[in-house]
Amino acid sequence: MMGDAVPAPGNAGALDVLTYPPPALAHSPGRVRRYDLAAVDRDIEIAQGVTFPAWTYNGTVPGPVIRATEDDTLLVNFFNGGSHPHTIHFHGIHPSEMDGVFQVVEPGQSFTYQFPARPYGMHLYHCHATPLKKHIHKGLYGAFIIDPPKPRRPAQEIVMVLNGFDTDGDGENNFYTVNGLTFYFAKYPIRVRRSQTVRIYLANLTEFDLINSFHLHGEFFRYYPTGSGDHFEYTDTVMLCQGQRGIIEIDFNNTGTFMFHAHQSEFTELGWMGFFEVVD
Amino acid sequence: MTTESARGEGGAVRRSLIALIPIVLLVGVVSAFLATGGSLVGLLGQNPPQPDVFDIRRVEFEPGEIRIKVTNPQTDDLTIASLTVDDAIVPFQVDGSKTLKRLRSATIVVPYQWVEDDPISVGVTSSNGIETTEDIAAAVETPSATPASILGYGIIGFLVGIVPVALGLAWLPSLRRVSKQWLSAFMALTAGLLTFLAVEALAEALELQQSLPSPLGGTGLVLLGLAATYLGLVLVSRRFSARGSGGAIGGLSLAMLVAIGIGVHNLGEGLAIGSSFAFGELTLGTFLIVGFMIHNVTEGIGIAAPAARGVTISFGRAAALALIAGAPAIAGAWIGGFTGSDLLGVLFFAAAAGAAFQVVIEVGRYVARTAPGGLSSPHVIGGFVAGLTVMYLTGLLA
Repeated sequence: MMGDAVPAPGNAGALDVLTYPPPALAHSPGRVRRYDLAAVDRDIEIAQGVTFPAWTYNGTVPGPVIRATEDDTLLVNFFNGGSHPHTIHFHGIHPSEMDGVFQVVEPGQSFTYQFPARPYGMHLYHCHATPLKKHIHKGLYGAFIIDPPKPRRPAQEIVMVLNGFDTDGDGENNFYTVNGLTFYFAKYPIRVRRSQTVRIYLANLTEFDLINSFHLHGEFFRYYPTGSGDHFEYTDTVMLCQGQRGIIEIDFNNTGTFMFHAHQSEFTELGWMGFFEVVD
Repeated sequence: MTTESARGEGGAVRRSLIALIPIVLLVGVVSAFLATGGSLVGLLGQNPPQPDVFDIRRVEFEPGEIRIKVTNPQTDDLTIASLTVDDAIVPFQVDGSKTLKRLRSATIVVPYQWVEDDPISVGVTSSNGIETTEDIAAAVETPSATPASILGYGIIGFLVGIVPVALGLAWLPSLRRVSKQWLSAFMALTAGLLTFLAVEALAEALELQQSLPSPLGGTGLVLLGLAATYLGLVLVSRRFSARGSGGAIGGLSLAMLVAIGIGVHNLGEGLAIGSSFAFGELTLGTFLIVGFMIHNVTEGIGIAAPAARGVTISFGRAAALALIAGAPAIAGAWIGGFTGSDLLGVLFFAAAAGAAFQVVIEVGRYVARTAPGGLSSPHVIGGFVAGLTVMYLTGLLA
């Protein structure tokens, strides 16, 4: 399945804001990075013709990409506009009162999370209100990138949050996606240039069936677990548990269309599949 | 016209009008309730959402294609949004609108290279993401009505319906020579096996009705089918008895009644065999057909026993009895194999139960009247239990 025959929701460009992250900023200790996040209950179309009553940060699943440079001060204003108590729990190093576990924010209430951004790497954030499983699978999560003090090499940067949707409440996912829309990148392949490294910030937030994976066709890549160091694995397939994440760097040798998907056939055929279109 | 008769007519009209008052009031109350637009229900709280479950009525396999017939059993509209085969999303087409109104059906066509004989499941997902799945035990090409398959189902129906009944009937000359006591034992055996068939058919009908969409009211349908057939046969037996001696029926008339009862049962049995085979749930091996044949030979004895008393029955009449009891199996196999309607299945089995119960009553009356020692004689009790036992044991074969 490719192109218009693919049953994918959304128009061309619909996922741009979640897929292409804001640019990294130079290292500047103490600089304040502000983000406003609001929990919103919203019915979203996650597969062609199928709506899901989601709990979202700022109206999308996953939520917006939060990006900071190490030693920035993060200031995240959270307003709970949903119908249930929520929090934001960031992965990383921070004081216990900023952990988003004990400070439950009731509907209509606000809370400001303030902490220094560290360590550098690919992280994530999600709601930690109970029941945890419900709050995560309803859609309250997103990517959280902390850039290193010494900037990474220039690259074509992409964020991929792997997730699933259990639309009929039987504790099993009916759909699997990258960034929230089934088969989206099969209908609208990601266009990249062969001359420049492709860097993927990859995180797994799949509920119920917790193990997810990323497999690239026709190419190998460097995989940096959590993106917090220099060691990498040279491979074409990585496996991630829920909450695991890392950075992938691809230097394409060939132009053409290359598939990427979960190397769990079931996930692939339930929506987690897409293409790179590599051009000169 | 006299004044009295005019007054009488006026009174009748007035009485009819008075009888209409409750209906008029009912219409008024219903309209008033509907006019509130359901806000009265709001006093009780919120209505839960509809379950969004499809009724998957039939899954057919053609080379390179799966066809799924679905019905919307709920009051709200239901939209076919996504389709899976073996837990994989597949492209599909619907003949007509993807949104189904209440009790409307559609056929979903899926291009798919299915694997012969493998188990397979299809899932229909609504626009609210609710998935209804149907598991098929083994994917086999759905038989279409070709001359060969029509002949094939015809032969199966002939083998499990007509042949065994005819063979059982061949005991008729032997039965004519047995003593009165032993004949009553055979009559009781007939009652026993018919009781067995009745319970079996009723259980089948009740089980099958569970798969029907709930608005069709499956249990009510079973009761209707059962009662209608039972009472229909009561009328038939009354006509038989009016034509004959006038009292309780016996002899050929009773044999005819037994044959009708067994015929209605064999209609259901044929349908069950036909549809199970068409849906890949049944291996129609030689052994199974042999099992059904042995099982059904006892039905022939059931018809022969009442015919053993009274005038000699011509070959033509005996053949007619065998056809009445056995031929419906052929019709059933065709209906089951080519349409596979659960609704008809429920109706047929309910009718079979009703017919069998009625015939048991009829045979019981006959035995009570003719058996030496009546219903409580050891021959009658033994025969009845033997009837149940024989049906149970030969049923294990099928």
